[in-house]
Amino acid sequence: MELRKTTVHRVAEAVLEGEITAHQLIDKTLKNCSVLNEGLNIFNAVAGVDATEQARAIDEKIKQGGELPLAGIPITVKDDLCYGVLPTSFGSSAFSEFISPVTAAVVESLMEAGAVVIGKTNLDDMGQGSTTLTSPGGATANPWQAERTAGSAGAAAVATGICMLAVESDSGGALRQGASHCGVAGLRPTTGRVSRHGLNAHCSSFARVGITAFSCENISGVLDIISGFDERDAATAVCRKGIPEIIKTPGSEDITIGYPVTAFDFLQPELREVFEQARDDFAGLGYKIKNIDLGLLREGLQAYYIIALAEASSNHARFDGIRFGKTGEADNLENMYFQSRAEILGKEARRRSIFGTFLLSKGNYGRYYRQALKIWELIRQEFAGVLKECDLLMLPTAKNLPRQLKGEVSFLDEWSDDFFCAPVSLSGMPALTIPAGQVNRIPVGMQLVGPPFSEKTLLAVGSTSGPRDTGTL
Amino acid sequence: MDSAAVGLEKAIEAIKIGVSDPERDQLHRELDQFLGWLEPALEVDTGDLEGLVFSHEAINVLREDTPRQSDLAELQEAAPNFTGGFYLVPKIME
Repeated sequence: MELRKTTVHRVAEAVLEGEITAHQLIDKTLKNCSVLNEGLNIFNAVAGVDATEQARAIDEKIKQGGELPLAGIPITVKDDLCYGVLPTSFGSSAFSEFISPVTAAVVESLMEAGAVVIGKTNLDDMGQGSTTLTSPGGATANPWQAERTAGSAGAAAVATGICMLAVESDSGGALRQGASHCGVAGLRPTTGRVSRHGLNAHCSSFARVGITAFSCENISGVLDIISGFDERDAATAVCRKGIPEIIKTPGSEDITIGYPVTAFDFLQPELREVFEQARDDFAGLGYKIKNIDLGLLREGLQAYYIIALAEASSNHARFDGIRFGKTGEADNLENMYFQSRAEILGKEARRRSIFGTFLLSKGNYGRYYRQALKIWELIRQEFAGVLKECDLLMLPTAKNLPRQLKGEVSFLDEWSDDFFCAPVSLSGMPALTIPAGQVNRIPVGMQLVGPPFSEKTLLAVGSTSGPRDTGTL
Repeated sequence: MDSAAVGLEKAIEAIKIGVSDPERDQLHRELDQFLGWLEPALEVDTGDLEGLVFSHEAINVLREDTPRQSDLAELQEAAPNFTGGFYLVPKIME
């Protein structure tokens, strides 16, 4: 059973009906894992015995008549999400052996439905980045072109067929850009739809937990399982009385897709051609295309980085060698803090925390931070206004093809890769990345962005458009 | 030192992150680049707009104030050093 060529529903059905046991499926998955992971550096930890035990427990539950919609489905978990069995590093070598006393809410929900965690996936330094280039364990290579980054290791795991679902965080666009670079689908949900309990968020305002999968259908199969109110995450209070779904029937002229014409000026010409083709394809399927204007993308990116860095400086304060993290060797308390924090935070996390503290300091707070909060409101208004004129809008996901693993890239160039994703994060709207095409055999994705709680519409529209022919790995 | 450079030194002291001299020099250069990069955002006319603090309208919801069982053993096991009924942490008083 090749996981890339089937669906979550079909695999779970096969396990429930006894065509294959969960144990057999996971055993095969783990064997594939060691082969397919070769040279890609996808995993920080592989579950091994634990995954086998999970699978045996699933088989037992099935014998006892358990209803498990995700029976035996292999999943990976990004390493900034806690899983109480394997180490959770948060992207810091100081936590490489840390076993969390909790398991993230999303992981709990998926496991209760029968999914099996097969490993923790690589990520940037303290989860900050959209390339994995700042990972203390080295970057994850792109399965399509190994000299380039995958963007996210979970997307690489899905693209290679190691797992069927990857649970990942997304603040400025890591999940979405990973999906784009690896030719798979990835959903960043609406603020408050999915609990973030168990996520080490560097940026609380924008961090979300989403799902990457080979197809929109596979994401649809788990959306209800991971959605809903969780008293451990106050943001989910919007779902306390049920999820306010916005669902429209796709594939008809009743749906209007906004096409932000000027946004495409920021793209390389070959990438632009992909989106023009995708727009024409949507029109060919019967969707109405409406030209719209999003004029604040660049400023939205900048506002995102002001707020994200400010929040990182605050959120990382707890990693001081006393409350969290290894205690640094020093001759007095003051030096111990400096030493501990220098060891816990990598170079990227140090840069972000220091700049964040600078932005929040007297004299800079009003000039930068308060201005960023106002731009955040302008972005929200701009997206809300556009989505009154159309049902959803299409945007590029990544500004460039994935970065080369070798070679220098400035920190500002790397942050600018979030050009099309960070403003969407500010908007609070859900965003689905789907394959749009290829450039030089490298996948290129696009985002579909809709109003709050329109994920089912996005997934339905995304399904009608593909999966596009992204070739064969 | 200009005001940004002074501000950066104060930020490093405030957040207590050890940086080497070469890294410190690099941070000073990068801060200048970063602040230049942010200029377009500062030019946006935001008028009297109130800043946003949450993406959509929501009210805080309090849970029932009822006692709950905590698995203390699990937490104690997760602590790096739990001895004699106490969580031992590095000395923080001098």
